[in-house]
Amino acid sequence: MADDYQPPALPSPFTHTKPAPILLAQGAEAHVYKTVSLDPSIPAALKIRPSKPYRHPILDRKLTRQRIIQEARCLVKLVREGVKVPAVLALDWEGQGGDEAGWGGAWLMMEWIEGPVVRVVLEKWEAWMKVNRSSLDATRISQEEARVRGLIRRMGSAIAGLHKAGVVHGDLTTSNLMLRTEQVEGETLSMDGEVVLIDFGLASQSTQDEDRAVDLYVLERAIGSTHPLSEPFFEELLIGYKEGNKGATSTLRRLEDVRLRGRKRSMLG
Amino acid sequence: MTMAPLETINLPHLPAELPVFVALYRNVENAEFLRQQLLAGNTEYEYALIDASMVLSRTHAITAIFRAVNDYLNNRLKSRNVHSEIVFSFLAANNIADSFRKFGIADTTKDLLVVKVPVSPEITHDSVATHLEASIKGTSVKFDDQILSEISDMAKIKKVYKLGALPTPGAKQASGTPDDANRRLELSVVGAIALRGS
Amino acid sequence: MIAIGMEGSANKIAIGIMSHPEDGSPPQILSNVRHTYNSPPGEGFLPKDVARHHRTWVVKMVKDAMKEARLKVADVDCICFTKGPGMGAPLQSAVMAARMMSLLWNKPLVGVNHCVGHIEMGRLITGAENPVVLYVSGGNTQVIAYSAKRYRIFGETLDIAVGNCLDRFARTLFIPNDPFPGYNIEQLAKKGKRFVELPYIVKGMDCSFSGILAAVDALAVSLGLSGEEQARLDDERIEKEQGNEEQDPDAKPTRADLCFSLQETVYAMLVEITERAMAHVGSKQVLIVGGVGSNERLQQMMGIMARDRGGSVFATDERYCIDNGVMIAQAGLEAYKTGFRTPLKESTCTQRFRTDEVFVDWRD
Repeated sequence: MADDYQPPALPSPFTHTKPAPILLAQGAEAHVYKTVSLDPSIPAALKIRPSKPYRHPILDRKLTRQRIIQEARCLVKLVREGVKVPAVLALDWEGQGGDEAGWGGAWLMMEWIEGPVVRVVLEKWEAWMKVNRSSLDATRISQEEARVRGLIRRMGSAIAGLHKAGVVHGDLTTSNLMLRTEQVEGETLSMDGEVVLIDFGLASQSTQDEDRAVDLYVLERAIGSTHPLSEPFFEELLIGYKEGNKGATSTLRRLEDVRLRGRKRSMLG
Repeated sequence: MTMAPLETINLPHLPAELPVFVALYRNVENAEFLRQQLLAGNTEYEYALIDASMVLSRTHAITAIFRAVNDYLNNRLKSRNVHSEIVFSFLAANNIADSFRKFGIADTTKDLLVVKVPVSPEITHDSVATHLEASIKGTSVKFDDQILSEISDMAKIKKVYKLGALPTPGAKQASGTPDDANRRLELSVVGAIALRGS
Repeated sequence: MIAIGMEGSANKIAIGIMSHPEDGSPPQILSNVRHTYNSPPGEGFLPKDVARHHRTWVVKMVKDAMKEARLKVADVDCICFTKGPGMGAPLQSAVMAARMMSLLWNKPLVGVNHCVGHIEMGRLITGAENPVVLYVSGGNTQVIAYSAKRYRIFGETLDIAVGNCLDRFARTLFIPNDPFPGYNIEQLAKKGKRFVELPYIVKGMDCSFSGILAAVDALAVSLGLSGEEQARLDDERIEKEQGNEEQDPDAKPTRADLCFSLQETVYAMLVEITERAMAHVGSKQVLIVGGVGSNERLQQMMGIMARDRGGSVFATDERYCIDNGVMIAQAGLEAYKTGFRTPLKESTCTQRFRTDEVFVDWRD
């Protein structure tokens, strides 16, 4: 059943694209491809939100449009504010072939960010540490930990910039943070480079402490569950966040509340 | 200055049979005449005629052209034809008349960007080149960022895109390099074009 | 090994008997009986009335179940009961009966989480091994996936349950509660074609229904479609329109159109959050459990989504997706086999009991 699965056909104009865009990931809502920008020598990321045939066509068009536009608006705003995110290069929310029988999907072409996601950087580092820790002296261990602390602190200041610009991400995980850097092959990855926030599919414009605190909490939980060795350094994230955002105090106070109750409410029968 | 030939650009993602022809002119002397032809609806002069002082970079222009041609291919032009649509696509707002006032050729235009899309088979590189040579009194120059940077009116561009708060490229930066400022401005403009009408 | 399951967390008192043969052959359902308390159209049920209903019927239900299963008391290994979540008074009626039977027959008690009961029953009936579970009923709306001995809740409603939203709208429109409101809404929705836009509220993997209910209720009132007399007049119009090939798309919406639009909207939300959870955990299977899971349109929409992801959907019919006793026996027996017992002193029930609180020791 899973074997004869084919990703949906590309919408116009990407049927003309040569070489054809390469599918990188299929999320719940979108397919992400690597292709070229409007300059054939510069790569780009292409996010396609296909029409969802399970839902009523009127509802489908409305949601697809709303969401791709919301994502693009957040990105454009952040680029303007100087926050490091992939810039919007081109966008199409109108679908094709009219409202009745046409393709109700939408697409977003973005700047290509070269480098690994933070999840991979931390996973490789943790795997390497597990193997080598016992043979490292105290100085080396603290050097290694300082690298991770530095990275996590830079993540914090990137998120501070995001929040200061009036946007919350809505799905902050280490998979949605990238390191823009030239990587050399090796056992561990470089932790230098610029932290770039990606995937704004659930982002929205908000300056509420609650939304900001939930962003931080979701990332804290994600680090806790996927990067146990790096978890002790989460405090660095909050230090970086405070450095980058003067109004951080009330957000961090709210984070305490969110930690106590969890993201979810308790359940009634 | 050597004469630059009419450039053929095959935009990625668009059909190979639909390239765009682009030429950049300086010291144009007959802007008023060209604008009159547009107003009169003279089909021989059906071009996108853009005041090049409003063009930041090659990427800026190509973004607007791509948007217009893609809308043309999907039968959803908001203006009369793909050439007027290119001018319209430079604007971040939904106002065709305003787009011509801000980006279109004016009687005083000295630097001019000309774009032609071969929407019918008789429009070829040669036919366009011949017609432009006969019609435009000016010096054709290379369509590149180096020359555009000499032409662009940065203050006006920032004002039109409501990007006044952004650092000005070339000026001394409090933080970041002039390149950063340049890129940020360009990408902000590109984003505004992509979002028009949303 | 044989277990009696007793369920009374909402408006059904249900007894089921489950056997897990010693020889390892597939589990067998020996009996599955239930009695439902229904309120008249336009009204919901009150906990005290439901509790009285359960007390009245529980003894007969147990007798019927034992008779249908052809069992003697000595054959039974344990008595499983719903510990929660659910409505307090009805839960207490059932747990009281379970305790009494435990003392009378000298059988150990096993307290079961109602949601886990649904999940285990769904897995057993459909054979879905490790699906993402959408649990949708009058009291619950959750997207669940198993991980490290817990059924983890990935998404849930931020306010009322989807079934509650449907039930309450049925009351507004005077749609009968028998056999259950959701079923009657579904039948009426089949006659609707005009899609009316309603709020659509999804936040990540969570969703909310109270705003939608308020909007569709207000719309029904403003269209003059709420109340008993209006229901009768509107039914006549709906029947007349069914005769026509083409409905006028711009005509005033009927109750059928509102039911259709409500279903399309809330089920799209459920499918969306389920798909997000599937993408998150990398699963291609979906299992729908709970009373709303018997809705054919929801199953169809979920099926299209799963197919587009190269997967499939598992659903059960109303015998097993609507609250029943067998599911409590099934989940209880799984726990019982790992050595789990609920001492009499701890055989309480609770309105709040999160699915992820249960230690799922019977799975790898």
